[in-house]
Amino acid sequence: MAGSVEGKHSVAQSNNRRTPSGKSGATSKGVQPKAGQPKSPQPTTPQPKPAAAKGSPAVKKPAAGRQSVAAARRSSSGNNRTQLIIGAIAVVVIIAIIIFGLVLNKKETAVQGEGYGASTQSVATVANGVVTVAKPGATPGKTIDVFEDALCPICSEFERQFGQQMNQAVDQGDLAVNYHMLNFLNPRSFSGDYSTRAAAALLCVAEEGGTQPGLYLNYHSALFSTDNQPAEGGSADLTNEQLAELATTTGAPTSAASCITAGTNIAAATAAADASSAALQAATGRIATPTVLYNGAPVSTTVDWLSTLLGQ
Amino acid sequence: MTSPRTVSRSELIRDVIGLLARLGLAAVWLISGIIKAVDPRTTVVAVRAYQIFPESLVGIIAGILPFLEIALGVLLVIGLATRLTAVLSAVVLVAFIAGVISAAARGLSIDCGCFGGGGDVAAGQTAYTEEILRDLGFLTLAVYLILRPDTPLSVDRWVRRRTGQPA
Repeated sequence: MAGSVEGKHSVAQSNNRRTPSGKSGATSKGVQPKAGQPKSPQPTTPQPKPAAAKGSPAVKKPAAGRQSVAAARRSSSGNNRTQLIIGAIAVVVIIAIIIFGLVLNKKETAVQGEGYGASTQSVATVANGVVTVAKPGATPGKTIDVFEDALCPICSEFERQFGQQMNQAVDQGDLAVNYHMLNFLNPRSFSGDYSTRAAAALLCVAEEGGTQPGLYLNYHSALFSTDNQPAEGGSADLTNEQLAELATTTGAPTSAASCITAGTNIAAATAAADASSAALQAATGRIATPTVLYNGAPVSTTVDWLSTLLGQ
Repeated sequence: MTSPRTVSRSELIRDVIGLLARLGLAAVWLISGIIKAVDPRTTVVAVRAYQIFPESLVGIIAGILPFLEIALGVLLVIGLATRLTAVLSAVVLVAFIAGVISAAARGLSIDCGCFGGGGDVAAGQTAYTEEILRDLGFLTLAVYLILRPDTPLSVDRWVRRRTGQPA
């Protein structure tokens, strides 16, 4: 910081240099004047109220003291006002951008199909460990592949935002969904195999109660709800008994519950997860969930992805 | 620049450093803010993963944070209220560092989500030390700008000259 002691010119310069920003800092942080005014010969005006800055005297002095240091000193208080105004503008800019962002964010994260609720028409069938959900008898115009891991928190967000809309589209016979449950997050679960066990439980529900309208999708939603989904790296997750109990609560038959408790589908779920991982890797070059594929190509799941896909 | 004074070498160097610090910090905020803003779902999860805020606040913070970062970046790019912006930047960075330290201390294994991502990382895949060092580097830029907010090509300097300061 040689500037402040280099010479007359530098002193003035340094003074000018520091005052303004000290002031702008003061608008929000209450910085003491001394922080900005090390060797200033003239007294520093303590921060005027921001309201005072509203008047425009600051702008009156343009060109006034361009030539001399003395003139610059005279304009010092006007300069302080200028800095207050700059600080106020900065604060307004920040607030404006944040408000804009919140509005945008609210739009982007809005729950789609809000109010539709649970699926009432869908049935589930299993082929090679992949569960397909559709309305019986319907020929859905669109079929998508959804890749999820039961422990994946973003899948939970995805379910929260689009679950009802997907339920509705499936119930109306417009959409069929192939659910691919992966298990790459097993190591992040408390038990070390939660993803696989949850996938196996979903298979049990599909096999034993898949014809029961809405059951599979409702169990799927229940597993992903923030009330039930275990945390990554958490200190607990759901045991097979708890997974079975949740299935029973959702309306699954006792055969599904005993299938879950016994871990009957663990091997099948593991094999399906491996196959689905390979398919996902081949389609997108990486393993990330949730991923939606349509005709084998990834769909960017922006807020209107499903309505766009369905042409609504 | 038009005044006949001699521009000393040290002032020139200081100008260059100041400009680099300001634009560097601006780039950090703009990049991290935009990445977070375009993927709000991931940002929510990243904020939640810290397990610091109640669920009711997670969404709000995840909504505000990306745009606060973008706002700071925009102000730094144009050099408007540089010291105020640098102070706010430092406050936010200190909060980030505190969050990462707290996550590490509580034995969470999360990605900081500093530049998008966040949430899922395999056990043993955490990078807390690197993340903290990186944030400390950014904090250094912010502190430098708090101490020396006057930089070339900034609205601040332009306004000061327009209002009659012999700079």
